[in-house]
Amino acid sequence: MSFGYLLNLAVNGAIEGSIIALGALALTLVFGIARFPNASAGDVITVGAYAGYGGQLASGGLMAAGVVSGMVGAAAISLAFYWFVFRKLAGRSAVYPLIASIGAAFLIRAAITFFLGHDQRVYDVPLTRAVALGPVRVVPTDLYLAAGALAALAVVFALLHMTPLGRRMRAVADNPDLARASGISARRVMTAMWLIAGAVSGLAGVLLGVKTVVMPEMGWDLLLPAFAATILGTIGNPVGAVVGGLLIGVAQELSTPFVGFTYKIGVGFLVLLLVLMVRPQGLFSGAERVR
Amino acid sequence: MEGYLLAVGVIALIYMLMTLGLNLHYGFTGLINFGHVGFFAVGAYTSAILAVHGVWLPLAFLAAVVLAALSAWPLGVLSLRLRIEYLAIVTLGFSEAVRLFIVNERWLTNGVQGIPGIPSLSEGLGLPMSATTATFILLVLANLAAILVIHRIVKSPFGRAIEAIRDDEEALRALGKDPGSFKIRVFMLGAAFAGLGGAFYAHYITFVTPDQFLPLLTFYIWVAMILGGAGRVSGAAVGTLALVGFLEGSRFLRDIVPGVAEVEMASLRLGVVGLALILLVIYRPGGIMGDYSS
Repeated sequence: MSFGYLLNLAVNGAIEGSIIALGALALTLVFGIARFPNASAGDVITVGAYAGYGGQLASGGLMAAGVVSGMVGAAAISLAFYWFVFRKLAGRSAVYPLIASIGAAFLIRAAITFFLGHDQRVYDVPLTRAVALGPVRVVPTDLYLAAGALAALAVVFALLHMTPLGRRMRAVADNPDLARASGISARRVMTAMWLIAGAVSGLAGVLLGVKTVVMPEMGWDLLLPAFAATILGTIGNPVGAVVGGLLIGVAQELSTPFVGFTYKIGVGFLVLLLVLMVRPQGLFSGAERVR
Repeated sequence: MEGYLLAVGVIALIYMLMTLGLNLHYGFTGLINFGHVGFFAVGAYTSAILAVHGVWLPLAFLAAVVLAALSAWPLGVLSLRLRIEYLAIVTLGFSEAVRLFIVNERWLTNGVQGIPGIPSLSEGLGLPMSATTATFILLVLANLAAILVIHRIVKSPFGRAIEAIRDDEEALRALGKDPGSFKIRVFMLGAAFAGLGGAFYAHYITFVTPDQFLPLLTFYIWVAMILGGAGRVSGAAVGTLALVGFLEGSRFLRDIVPGVAEVEMASLRLGVVGLALILLVIYRPGGIMGDYSS
């Protein structure tokens, strides 16, 4: 096992990790602001992948159309579930929205498999030859994927840290009662948050669909690594979610020569367990974030 | 028709054992367990593997129960430290890890091909009746025993302690009791019921594959528990009957309504379970038999 081989795995893991990071970012936004682990995030990602696939098909093969329709489709479903389900459970123990989010996940997957079946679909992307960067060989598509994920992360950070809306969202995440007392409209913050989380999930779905295949279970399978990344990077901390995502992605890929391809998803679970045992507050918890 | 009803009854009683276990976890103690199917799988595979290697069935069943309970031990230990939402994710991960293990460790579990030819209960015990009848009778006894055990537990000081964990853990601590050992014991006991259910399932179906142990089964049981009323012993029975009624009813629906394929019916069942979870937590978190006094 050469160094170059491991380096290749690490790069692959980082690319996959950037997609996990998007999922983890969506999870951490919901966890930080609506305060429950949203198990339907995975299936919203799946919606994004299918909507993106449909958009690309309808536009005659335009990838940009696929990205936009994937993000819009996932944001729409995310907002719909906020409006019809999670809004009604605000203020109750996190158990209730958590169970409801499992219900939402099943409902989404049932609709997809009922109307579209279980067939795998693939995005229309040109096959490209891998280019060599030193000892690392990368497919250009993968570089576009990573660039797309990083651009989206940059946009979300800009939103959170440079706009009044972002400031309000962070205020609610830090202290909901204080935020309400300061006259921040919880409903508007929630609407914005679910839209952003949905759009981010949608992009994750499109990227994952381009990298692998579009199928009904794709998002659900991403859920455990994304949760692991969220907890690894401290729940509610967007930077932590991204770093956690990259770490999990790299750890999963680097483990494949040792444990085999099929146990890859188990590595995410193992990391999750270790973090929870050793440092349950995550890697990125400052004093002000401990809850 | 009698044979059919008996077969439905067997499935209902297997689910009831699982619901009783989950109710102990969540209904009485407030521990969120999203990995119940993992304990069920441990029980099913343990008993199946031992039985096909010629182990006497009662011993195989005992091993299934013990191993399922032991597999819950680390989760119980974790539950001491984790917030309930984290525990939900970890238990879900546990059940998926069990399935991964079954798929991968072909030398033990025969991987995705599964284990065929598991002896049925009448065969394994040499009972002079059909396999379904034997399974049904033994399941009735097992459920009665489980209900008796749970009833005794709930009425004992132990029961009052675990209900206190659910309602106000800090208050229990203030009384000088350590919630930890209660949580671990409850986790193991509830898992033992699921493991027993798994053993019955393996010897009833006589064939196990990893596909039979998807997370969906966990949430079937959640629907049964919430529908019947979490924290009620009678709730498990009512909820399980309603669940199996729905699952079987959807089969009849497919026979009546033409043009619905089995895969579409599977999607519909998944959708109904999802919708039920959402509607129950919004409108009836206490369930049919729920406690309306509080």
